[in-house]
Amino acid sequence: MGERRLSNTIRTLRFHAGEMTQAELGGKIGVTRQTVAAIEQGKYSPTLETAFRIADVFGVALDEVFRWAED
Amino acid sequence: MAFREKIAWLELGTMLVAYGIYFGIVGPAAGFGERRMLDILWSFGPVAAAHGVAMIVGAIAIAVTAVKEAEARSDERDRAIARRGATIGYFVLIAGMILVGVVMPFSEPPWKIVNTALLAIVLAEAVHAAVVLLSYRRGWHG
Repeated sequence: MGERRLSNTIRTLRFHAGEMTQAELGGKIGVTRQTVAAIEQGKYSPTLETAFRIADVFGVALDEVFRWAED
Repeated sequence: MAFREKIAWLELGTMLVAYGIYFGIVGPAAGFGERRMLDILWSFGPVAAAHGVAMIVGAIAIAVTAVKEAEARSDERDRAIARRGATIGYFVLIAGMILVGVVMPFSEPPWKIVNTALLAIVLAEAVHAAVVLLSYRRGWHG
């Protein structure tokens, strides 16, 4: 089995939410714009609480935001 | 670049310059306190004070250019990165303290012990700042 990493669909979800900015999303979930950018780029794995908050903002299930990706 | 990342750059930069001057120029000129222990105070003290002033002035300058970010509370990523930096810096500090508190007293004179202790503190802080920077730049998966 190859190395697995966590990927996410936040960029797409923001686009479908009327081009929500990273700063707007950050404001809704209580993190900075830079942290949203780091999560999107896979440079930071958020806490479970923040992951659920992100899913709540877009009204989707957690596994529609985050999923394992094979390298 | 995140506000706290800029502060970490400032911390690392001012530290390397200030204590580079002490360990490279001012300290050797004062014999690192070999003749008189008080020389350590008169050589290291001004360097530490200058470093403190540079940090304060630099932090204010960074905050003025990003008032909103400076006022914002640190978020979970900032705190996770700060913890990582503190943990790794702590091990460097402990290694240095074991050296100066347990090993060196058996063989080295006081002025060497004091300067090694100062070096250990500086190295621990530099490692702390470097780990914070690397974590912001290359990512953090804690």
